[in-house]
Amino acid sequence: MQKRSFWKKISALALITLSIFSITGCGGNADTAQSGDKKPVKIVFWYAVGGKVGDATKELVDKFNSTHPDIKVEAVFQGDYDSAINKLKQSIASKSTPNVMQVYDIGTRFMIDSKAAVPVQKWIDKENFDTSKYEKNILAYYTVDNKLYSMPFNTSTPILYYNKDMFKEAGLDPNKPPQTFEEVAADAQRLTKRDDTGKVTRPGMVLAIYGWFFEQFLAEQNSMYANNNNGRDSMATAASFNSPQGEKILDWWSGMVKDGSTVNMGRKTADTMKAFVSGQTAMTIDSTGVLGDIMDGVNGKFEVGTGNMPHPEGAEGGGVIIGGASLWMLNGHSDEEEKASWEFIKFMTAPEQQAFWHIKTGYFPVTTDAYDNEDLKKYEAKYPQFKVAVEQLHHTPVNRSTQGGLLGVFTQSRQEIESAIEQVLDGKASSKDALQKAADTVNEAIGRYNSSVSQ
Amino acid sequence: MKKILHYVLLAIAACIILAPFLYAVAVSFESTEETLAFPPVWIPAALHVANYGKALQTAPLLTFIFNSFAVSILVTVGQIITCSLAAYAFAFFEFPGKKVLFTLFLSTMMIPAESTIIPNYMIIRSLDWLNTYQGLAVPFMASAFGTFLLRQYFQTLPKEIYEAARMDGCSRLRFFFTMVLPLSKPALATLSVYTFLSTYNQYMWPLLITNSDSMRTVQIGLAMLQWDQGISWNTTMAGIVIVSLPTVVLLILGQKQLVKGLTAGSTKG
Repeated sequence: MQKRSFWKKISALALITLSIFSITGCGGNADTAQSGDKKPVKIVFWYAVGGKVGDATKELVDKFNSTHPDIKVEAVFQGDYDSAINKLKQSIASKSTPNVMQVYDIGTRFMIDSKAAVPVQKWIDKENFDTSKYEKNILAYYTVDNKLYSMPFNTSTPILYYNKDMFKEAGLDPNKPPQTFEEVAADAQRLTKRDDTGKVTRPGMVLAIYGWFFEQFLAEQNSMYANNNNGRDSMATAASFNSPQGEKILDWWSGMVKDGSTVNMGRKTADTMKAFVSGQTAMTIDSTGVLGDIMDGVNGKFEVGTGNMPHPEGAEGGGVIIGGASLWMLNGHSDEEEKASWEFIKFMTAPEQQAFWHIKTGYFPVTTDAYDNEDLKKYEAKYPQFKVAVEQLHHTPVNRSTQGGLLGVFTQSRQEIESAIEQVLDGKASSKDALQKAADTVNEAIGRYNSSVSQ
Repeated sequence: MKKILHYVLLAIAACIILAPFLYAVAVSFESTEETLAFPPVWIPAALHVANYGKALQTAPLLTFIFNSFAVSILVTVGQIITCSLAAYAFAFFEFPGKKVLFTLFLSTMMIPAESTIIPNYMIIRSLDWLNTYQGLAVPFMASAFGTFLLRQYFQTLPKEIYEAARMDGCSRLRFFFTMVLPLSKPALATLSVYTFLSTYNQYMWPLLITNSDSMRTVQIGLAMLQWDQGISWNTTMAGIVIVSLPTVVLLILGQKQLVKGLTAGSTKG
């Protein structure tokens, strides 16, 4: 009897819960309705950038919609790159992928293995689309097995930012930024300020613990991040950053921390950028994407110089790897929608849009034709500092190291590298041990990933 | 004299606790240059109100605030109903398997929310509730924590009242409404505030199941103000102030009730 009264309670509870459901069962769903024959083709575009970059993206989408009455692009913000790719994983499982999606550089291997993408090469071949004006270094990153998988969209590289006034003050040539690790270390030493007791009051340089920088320093030495030629000849089966070249980077970096010419400011580039802008340090390394913000923040208080990414003395054949994101087409949609997606992608990467994009966001134009744009020329005159970045990119030979590594577990790998750098900077491990430990963890993850995709 | 000292100490403590928020308010009115200056600027030279306009233009924060409020209220009401009923059963009724059931209930608290997110998503999708208020709210309308909290409180109520009421023929539901709930205001208030705020601060779930600006919530709005390579501090802080303002106002308005509720019964009357 007791039992029955208990179940009566349960059912009463269920009833109440149900009534809540029905009360809340309104709202939403209104915007999905659409019908009719002559309606424009509707495609969904997921993007993962906010702030001024998000604004510029929305503006470009609006422009596309107003100039293409037969296509309607619905742009949806999906959080940062990591959140967006997690959301995509859900949507692949539930077969509700968007038509076009912005995916970060290091998501390339995952996107290919997910088999949810249509390589843009399909449409390039179909239409004999001319890609010769697109930057070859940028295309190279997204080209795998001689197929261009996705269309480069927002692209950046890191550069060295330095305070010319402080260079003058320290007796250094303000027009000669350091080029090598050794020069950076020597200049940073001279730019470091100490008080009477020898305590550092202003480090000569600050550098965020960001895995992307480590990858760049490897490529500068023409060294691979993963085996099988950076995972580009065939799927990478192991990391190869635990090399003498990798150790060289950490030795240089931790050496500067030890002698006080740089301090560990953590993993956020926002913090190192703040230190540079507020005159707390003389040099930093950051993306070209923040050049505009740095100039706004400095606002004429001192003269900002830019230089190439440094490399160890004698390193040859390397250069920078592009970073950023590209536009992917996803499969499982009608031909009509796929065609519309391709039109959209072409539009977003065309010279005029890319010139606008470059001016608004500081990302590279992905096509060289954009440099003929009048507005862009004005922008270049205003920010001559950007020229260094363009030259750095054009001087970079396209090879396996500068194409960048392809790993299905790149996000994790980057975190492992960052932990390794932290350990070395804190003096808790030698460069060799820290990198070996990172490599072991990454190799395990690669093994798991590879066996999961080969099934 | 002693009172003055108390006030001074409390004022200092309040300043320390409020400092991050006050700094956020200050930064939200600063120019880009000031946000990046060192030492940090606490009082902007001029009020850059435009930061607020920019934040609102970049992310439709007002819509998001409305959505967050709607969802948070639904979840709070839902949890108060389900948790208080469940706690009532656990605290007052005797039925076979009660202990086992309660342990089972509690054990769900040990399951990380991340591991249920995918099954939850699948259910919501199969119900066709993606991009709806019920999809945002219903999965959170019951919680083991809330049940536990209320049960603990209900157990402090004298069992004799319950027995006496039952003897006089009071139905269980009537006892629940006329005795248990009014006597448990402090616990209910605590649960409400906790539930409301944790729902208001949700990020992953709303991001996963909504697909349009008209259905999104505030935390996604804040993410819309930054990108991977940088952050514009003044607009982001303006966004944060806009988003936290309604909850702060609510707290100020409801403070008396809340404090009363939280301290009721804790002092001799």
